[in-house]
Amino acid sequence: MATTFPFLKIIRFLNIYILNGKAKLMQSENNLVNNKIVKQWLMWGFFWGIVAPTMGILLSLKFNYPDFLSNEYFHFGRLRPVHTNGVIFGVFSTIFLGLVNYMVPKLTGVKMYKDEWSKYTMWLWNLSLFAGFAGVLLGYNKGLEVDEFPNPVGLGFIISLVLISYQVFMSIAQRKEEKIYVALWYTIAALIWTDLNLVFGNFVLPYIMPGVSNAALHGLFLHYVVGLWITPGGLAIIYYFLSAASKTPIYSHRLSLVGFWSLAFVYPFVGIHHYLFAPTPYWTQTIAIVTSMLLIVPVWAVVANFYGTLMGGKWGLAQSDFTVKLLIFGAAMYFIGSTQGSLEALRSVQVPTHFTDFVIAHSHSTVFGGYVVFTLAACYYVWPRVAGTGYSRTVAQWSSWMIMLGISTMIAVLILQGLIQGTELVAGAEFVDSVVTMKPYWMIRTFTGITMDIGVALVGLNLYYSKTARTTP
Amino acid sequence: MKRAKTIAIVAGFGFFFLALIIQAIVPYVMKQYKTVQYAVTKTVRTPLGLLTQVKTQAVPYTDVLAKGRTIFMHEGCWYCHSQFTRPVAGETRRWGPLPEVGEYAYDLPHLLSTRRIGPDILRVGGKYGDDWHAAHYFDPRMVVPDSVMPRFTWFFKKEGDHFVLNDDGKAIVAYVQNLGMSRGKWRDEFPYQIAAQGSAPAFTAKESVDHGKEVYLRRCVGCHGEKGDGKGTAPSLVQFAVALPRDFTSGQFKFRTTQTGALPTDADLYRTITAGIRGTAMPTWFNLSEDDRWDVIHYVKTFDPDFGAIPPEQPLYIPQAPKPDADLIAKGKLTYEDLKCWECHGQEGRGDGEKSDTLKDDFDNKILPANFTTGVFKGGPRPEDIYRTVMTGLNGTPMPSNFDAVTQQNIDPWALAYYILSFSADKQ
Repeated sequence: MATTFPFLKIIRFLNIYILNGKAKLMQSENNLVNNKIVKQWLMWGFFWGIVAPTMGILLSLKFNYPDFLSNEYFHFGRLRPVHTNGVIFGVFSTIFLGLVNYMVPKLTGVKMYKDEWSKYTMWLWNLSLFAGFAGVLLGYNKGLEVDEFPNPVGLGFIISLVLISYQVFMSIAQRKEEKIYVALWYTIAALIWTDLNLVFGNFVLPYIMPGVSNAALHGLFLHYVVGLWITPGGLAIIYYFLSAASKTPIYSHRLSLVGFWSLAFVYPFVGIHHYLFAPTPYWTQTIAIVTSMLLIVPVWAVVANFYGTLMGGKWGLAQSDFTVKLLIFGAAMYFIGSTQGSLEALRSVQVPTHFTDFVIAHSHSTVFGGYVVFTLAACYYVWPRVAGTGYSRTVAQWSSWMIMLGISTMIAVLILQGLIQGTELVAGAEFVDSVVTMKPYWMIRTFTGITMDIGVALVGLNLYYSKTARTTP
Repeated sequence: MKRAKTIAIVAGFGFFFLALIIQAIVPYVMKQYKTVQYAVTKTVRTPLGLLTQVKTQAVPYTDVLAKGRTIFMHEGCWYCHSQFTRPVAGETRRWGPLPEVGEYAYDLPHLLSTRRIGPDILRVGGKYGDDWHAAHYFDPRMVVPDSVMPRFTWFFKKEGDHFVLNDDGKAIVAYVQNLGMSRGKWRDEFPYQIAAQGSAPAFTAKESVDHGKEVYLRRCVGCHGEKGDGKGTAPSLVQFAVALPRDFTSGQFKFRTTQTGALPTDADLYRTITAGIRGTAMPTWFNLSEDDRWDVIHYVKTFDPDFGAIPPEQPLYIPQAPKPDADLIAKGKLTYEDLKCWECHGQEGRGDGEKSDTLKDDFDNKILPANFTTGVFKGGPRPEDIYRTVMTGLNGTPMPSNFDAVTQQNIDPWALAYYILSFSADKQ
């Protein structure tokens, strides 16, 4: 014992030195941020980032191998909500809520109000996801096209989100920064909208106004989830992290005002465009089409703002900084996908393309190519700062390119598929014949899915298992 | 921007509720949408045996239908099958008449859906028989080899050698068969699935038969079998309760314009393929191109060498149907008595006549006489179809030809045809 004592002492000394050094580094940067909470949210995001896309691969395999996993619990109808909700409420939302815990203290200059609550909200949120997935796999689908989870699972999400909203609003009320940065506008709006929307979708919509009026409500609910949660959340992320990673103020305050208020006013109206030509009142469909086209205004405004930010000689960062690289790509996808979405609402475009994979191309290019990529980009920025570790640039390079090539090819294939099947049906083909035409494209789509899903998984694994010290400034 | 409250109140609450009110609440409470909310145009049969349209209301789901709908919702069927056809892209021709607001009156939550990986099913009720649905749920690829639908084997239980639908299976089949039924007998007047006569191409090329074989292997083989003997995988695994698939090698074809015992004309087969055999597993094939339909007929004829050996007969001439009146129906009632139709079909047309329990077809299977009150006529719902069956009988079944009786006793077959149709008159 006596001989080993000095040795242990040295070890302990070194240990303390390293830990203190790390702690100091984090202290100086993030003394407002609760690193542990942010880390945990992001870890869950990485977890769902492996689970939800895998479900997508399984589902896409069923197009070419319909007997694959065709049993009571994992057939297409039961597995699909695990994939869609896994991406929306799993991957995107858990990472976004983690980032909220990072952004809000940074932008308000105060610690998150009651940040010890976050531990509970995080577990509640993720356990609700598990419960919801178990629910739909056991066959208790509520019949909505997102958030199909049986009641009262929705209550878990609502409680969790309302508590987070309260934390955010209280933090903002106590803020030290007088001005509210645009990322916070979007965060405030997203939280209020989604608090309301989840209550509406879980406890009002399924019980009132039967028939086509219920379809109108559902169209609104459905698009509130993508438009009033994912979109403002995703835009908050890119507004904050593009500026932070490129160390550049946002290009134009006026453009961000235009972008925010036009989005806030126009987006709530678009939902009925899912049911054009249905026997709902014609004028509500027309309002939905007009507002969908008007969405070009916020989309192009914010994209112009993002790219404008990089104009002052910052484009080169795309090569060295993975946050900027993915944000540039995500903004392009957002631009393409959202513009496609606006055009898709036109009656003439819907005639061949509605009900086909054309629409699925839009949902993948926006939700995955845009918003999930934004969250992953932000992870490259936040994780090293909250965990104090670095990551392998080689793996990051591979994963970025897999994501970018995968999703780009996928949406190209899906758009092509939609146009082929749509025109085929307009020309009077027998329905099953048009399904046969789709099969080779579905095969390509599976491979593109595998590619981008490996890319997403690598982001999380690369960050989580990294043993190297943080090197990025 | 300095005011967080502005964002929260105006953008957060204000625009959310503004949109909700304008896009959903206002249309729901507006008077002109209220008044049409429950009106459904229903096709009904009058006591004279004619089809007409009346304004009526949708009816609430019965327990079985509600159960079927819940299963439909829980299994996520609606992810791939929409429930609204559009006035564009030829959908009214492909699937049937456009939906009306009133048809959805009891749908809560609605299941309109936004994607069609499979076809729209707003009007699927009655297109296929229950037997087809059973086979299709058990393994969609048995009856539609190119289908990508999952198997739903847990809707079945095993009874003897065959699988039969369990309670869940029966409920979902009932629900699917009820889709579009608030429109009544719309299918009876759906022009695209009626092939009045049609004329086959005179010359049968080898290419035509080869193409017919391709069509057969993609559409028919599951029930009729590779050898055309009616022993496909579907009837060998799943219980067919209504009727077994036709054995093409037997030379027995029910629906013909030719004499009893004779082979049908190509046009007869074309009509059966186009319109299907309602109530049985044989669906309508009017969505197939005409070439596909003719060529598959040429292929089906190769299963029975008699088709090539025996020259085709002169088909029955079916004149223009007269307009029915009360006298004609009364006359039809007398004819129904005289020709002893009631012995099998019953006095009230319910298929419960005194001989009905004892009937067997030529394949020694028990066979039930048609129940005219259901409005489901296998040979077709037009007066001309009934006329044809009365005159030529149904080969392979106890249903005889009344051709001699009609010609010798000066009987008006139209009177009988309309009388038979009048059994299925809807209660007003």
